[in-house]
Amino acid sequence: MLIRSPKDWELPESAATPEKLYHLSKRRDFLKSLGVAGAAFAARDLLGATAGFPSKLNPDYREPALKPTAYEAITSYNNFYEFGTGKDEPVVNANRSWKTEPWTVEITGLVEAPLKIDVNDLVAKMGGVEQRVYRFRCVEAWSMVIPWDGFPLAKLVAAANPRPEAKFLKMTTFLDPKSAPGQRSGNLDYPYVEGLRLDEAIHELAFIATGIYGRPIPNQNGAPLRLVVPWKYGFKCVKSIVKFEFVAKQPMNTWQAMASSEYGFYANVNPNVDHPRWSQASERVIGGGSLLGSRQRTLMFNGYEKQVAALYKGLNLEKNY
Amino acid sequence: MPFLEKPLRSKAVVWTLIVLPGLWPLWPLFVTKNPSVLADPLKYVLHHLGFVACVLLATVLTFSPLRVLWPKWGVALALNRHRRLVGVSAFVYGALHFATHLIYEGGTDTAAIPAILRTAVKKNFQLVGMITLAILTVLAITSLHVFIRWLGGKAWKNLHRLAYIAAGLAAYHQAIARKTFPMQVVWIFGPLVLLELARVWKQRTPKAGQASELTRSPAK
Repeated sequence: MLIRSPKDWELPESAATPEKLYHLSKRRDFLKSLGVAGAAFAARDLLGATAGFPSKLNPDYREPALKPTAYEAITSYNNFYEFGTGKDEPVVNANRSWKTEPWTVEITGLVEAPLKIDVNDLVAKMGGVEQRVYRFRCVEAWSMVIPWDGFPLAKLVAAANPRPEAKFLKMTTFLDPKSAPGQRSGNLDYPYVEGLRLDEAIHELAFIATGIYGRPIPNQNGAPLRLVVPWKYGFKCVKSIVKFEFVAKQPMNTWQAMASSEYGFYANVNPNVDHPRWSQASERVIGGGSLLGSRQRTLMFNGYEKQVAALYKGLNLEKNY
Repeated sequence: MPFLEKPLRSKAVVWTLIVLPGLWPLWPLFVTKNPSVLADPLKYVLHHLGFVACVLLATVLTFSPLRVLWPKWGVALALNRHRRLVGVSAFVYGALHFATHLIYEGGTDTAAIPAILRTAVKKNFQLVGMITLAILTVLAITSLHVFIRWLGGKAWKNLHRLAYIAAGLAAYHQAIARKTFPMQVVWIFGPLVLLELARVWKQRTPKAGQASELTRSPAK
């Protein structure tokens, strides 16, 4: 029997951008403004451009057993409190007046090479983007599988050249209450802050995503660049970053400041340590297709135990949730 | 407001008002096919049923303070004809919410239920939800005439005051269901709190006639 194995550049039907969303992409207009010839632009776009950079699957980060969640589910079921607390709100509110272009990123703190740089120049400096398929597990006990495009965070850390006293990387989201209704309502303490230990930040799995399914990351998913740390709960994956700051002390992350009994600094996915209000032993599978949906067992470190367990040797994971 | 009073006297109208919100999820699921809802349809249904249960519970409890505050208002009188129907429907939505939770957690596998309940009693958030439902279950069963007769009016009335505790627990359950405080709790339970405060205030304040009676000096 012939089994046709799809090439890595082939996108599933589910990856097609709905027309409505297509017209919402401001980054696409930006690409046009670069003067990319129409035909070439279209071909490039289909192949998977992230801010104009072709993405290629990195097979080392593509477990064959993982079935990517449909593009539409990934881009319409979002926690992005800056644009409302409902899952269906960011897709609407983040595509109104909020500008993600141009976008400047600041790399600062205890580094030898501080930098203020346009996001597209940053991606070019990092050597373009690659695609990785990661599990994504929300602290609310649901999960997706997402093909991210981006670059390893370790590259950014290396370029910044942190000083020896730098022990943590603090990352901050944009602050623009005029465009972000959630920031106006003050549902959280803004701007949103997250942090990693430096050894976590340079781990091979830590990733800065600038695209999904080979296309520029939609606003509601954290355009134009966001953190992805697949062994941690989703809230660690800070969106729409404007500042990478290398610091000596462990930063206070937003959700820990909000409710330290429920959310800690580490936020490692751990089926054995419950959330105070629900069990973390299993998770709902998003975009399963059926009305009843399905649930699966949650894996230690979200299935990345082999790769990351060594980072937490000797750390009490029940106390350091 | 006769245009409101007349339809609200009708059982059919109230039945419709109670059943329609339960059918609401069909709209995003099958008509508009909202991708955010379809991402996890059962979660949407779960939250929606709990939401409707809270609204109905808060609503039915406003009927009696409305009547006390405005004893001659036809709408208040019309609503008070339906206290049992609306109260029992709050229980039904709460029970459906709980049943959906069991399916949400364990699928259609009934063998999973004991483990789900073991988890639920360990989590205050879930335990409070179950206590609320337990109270509503008792109240729904004892709303049958035979129990009113069996318990006697006074005992029955006292028992059914548990509905206020259920409302408080339901508000708490809803308030902590999300990662941040959901404002809808205020919209749903706020009016009830205000009406109850007004009722207490009215019942504590002696009526004009009584007041003059009390202050009248016997010497005069």
